[in-house]
Amino acid sequence: MESNKQVPVTVLTGFLGAGKTTLLNRILTEQHGKKYAVIVNEFGEQGIDNDLVVDADEEVFEMNNGCICCTVRGDLIRILSGLMKRADKLDAIIVETTGLADPAPVAQTFFVDQDVADRTKLDAIVTVADAVHLSSQLTDHHEAEEQIAFADVVLLNKIDLVDESGLEAVKERIRKINPFAKIINTTKCGVSLNEILNLDAFSLKRVLEVEPDFLESDHDHEHDDDVTSLSFVSDTPLDMEKFQDWFSKLLQTKGQDILRTKGILDFTGESDRYVFQGVHMLMDASPMGKWPEGKVRSSRLVFIGRNLENMNLKEGFENCKSA
Amino acid sequence: MKADLNKFPELNKTKFENRGKELRLGIPVINSVVIGNSIAVGFGDGTIRIFKAGQSSEPIKAHNGIVLCISKDGDDIITGGDDGRFLRISLNGEISEIANFGSRWVDHVTANNGSLVCTSGNNVYLWMAGRKEPRILEHESTIGGVAFDSKGRRLAVSRYGGVTLWKKDYSNKWKSSNLLWKGSHNKVIFSPDDRYLVTSMQENQLHFWRLKDKTDSTMSGYGAKVKSFAFVHDTKYLVTSGSNDAVCWPFDGIGPEGRQPICLPFVGNKLVTFVEPFPNENAIFTGLSDGSVFLSEIEKSSNTIMIRSFTEFEVTTISVTEDGSSILIGDMAGNILWTSIWDEENK
Repeated sequence: MESNKQVPVTVLTGFLGAGKTTLLNRILTEQHGKKYAVIVNEFGEQGIDNDLVVDADEEVFEMNNGCICCTVRGDLIRILSGLMKRADKLDAIIVETTGLADPAPVAQTFFVDQDVADRTKLDAIVTVADAVHLSSQLTDHHEAEEQIAFADVVLLNKIDLVDESGLEAVKERIRKINPFAKIINTTKCGVSLNEILNLDAFSLKRVLEVEPDFLESDHDHEHDDDVTSLSFVSDTPLDMEKFQDWFSKLLQTKGQDILRTKGILDFTGESDRYVFQGVHMLMDASPMGKWPEGKVRSSRLVFIGRNLENMNLKEGFENCKSA
Repeated sequence: MKADLNKFPELNKTKFENRGKELRLGIPVINSVVIGNSIAVGFGDGTIRIFKAGQSSEPIKAHNGIVLCISKDGDDIITGGDDGRFLRISLNGEISEIANFGSRWVDHVTANNGSLVCTSGNNVYLWMAGRKEPRILEHESTIGGVAFDSKGRRLAVSRYGGVTLWKKDYSNKWKSSNLLWKGSHNKVIFSPDDRYLVTSMQENQLHFWRLKDKTDSTMSGYGAKVKSFAFVHDTKYLVTSGSNDAVCWPFDGIGPEGRQPICLPFVGNKLVTFVEPFPNENAIFTGLSDGSVFLSEIEKSSNTIMIRSFTEFEVTTISVTEDGSSILIGDMAGNILWTSIWDEENK
């Protein structure tokens, strides 16, 4: 998924009223001289100020490949393929989803469709969240959890309307679901655009750079969120065959509940670092060069998903260690 | 001693290129349509150009963004664009707007026997001969393709989950039936004898139905999406893109089920991106992802001629005039070759 010719695509998710359209209009007015295409859903909150606005239908297709959670956005395939035939080149494409959309089919479209993958690349999923209402939304709507779980950036908006302890509580809840997401506090979506655009968050190189923001200790279970994250670290090298065997079976059987995975792996007898990141059952993986000198070689693996505690992940990971 | 031809790319040109007209427009070529001995081409900047022997081919501004689709209605060109307009364009270049859907794209257009069709989103808009207002045929998902049968009495609409087949009864009412197959279906065509219906899918495969008994089957084994496919004139073969070979499925007798296709290979192992039958011959033109185009006889694969050399950019259209005398080739970077097929002495 890495080439200069690919047009970056930023996905904006978030509940109705969180401030997606405000952010969108900020991007469009501040990025002078750049050509953007904006793909909006038909339930858009207010007008969008751009030459090139395309209406989408959020049509989710199941791929007929025997993989039940492998869904894609059919309308995106059609629209992105069309946009790539334009004579004038686009600097970026922004996809706004409806408040109740699951981000997985959007992300999976970039793994599954070869034309889309050849000409565009998923840059990042940016979730706009309302600091006042996110907590109750997370409790009431699984879509809100998915939008946080898939986010590369959470734009925590309207922070002027909550007190400090309220803000900390909601941030802690976000981190528990998704330790990878960068949380940016804003009022009225006031954020520097280089914090949300051109992040290349789905490239394997970025997996190496982002240090997950794990919680220090296991806090009280005040909110039992459905979606959680679990991470594992090992300084003992892993056996490649054992790992592949365990991991592929895990994704095949539990891929529906595993929303996102990322990892850097140290295999016995291999001089390269192995890096991967995945969405449900789909995976992008590659050796990414030698381990940096003087640094401890260790494997790190993070899961974000549902029912993770019932997957024997710790035991499975432990069993992959080289004897 | 052998000359290093790579250092002198102009020496690599074929005789078809040397005697033809080449344009380097830098605008993606979307598709083209043949009207008699004229060929109309749609481009990624909203223009079309009409190529006819002995005439210049000036751009005609039709759509504001992209010409998404191009077809014909009698002697007129019809186009749909991302500006939401459905247009009729005469061979003289006069434009008239048939319908305007605003911010909704017009994805597919077709016509036959007085009926005129465009699609936008989930809807087919169907104008019957002499009617001003279209009939709207609704579908549950976005339409991937439309095709009339040879008489214009049946309209196939491909979509997610299969094909909706609309049939005009003798009181001119359109009634639908469904041909179902899981997955998302894109382009759809009837065989010239109307016995078969073929779709390409989001997966790297084609699906076909034999209409008399609605039996169906899949043609798979492709390395890429099958975007271009067509029946050669006598319906004996369906030629398809999506592989390193031009894959020709036999549709004579019992049809392709359980039979092996003929695979026509090309040098360089590039992906076949466009296929076009040679009118009235058992031969095809094949365009590859590197811009090269070959003419091959289906049952004599050794008999292959290079028509156009490499441009680096995938072939997005090939059209041959009805009399079989001239060919137009276009690619993703807007390079066009418009040339005669026959040598002077063979005419």
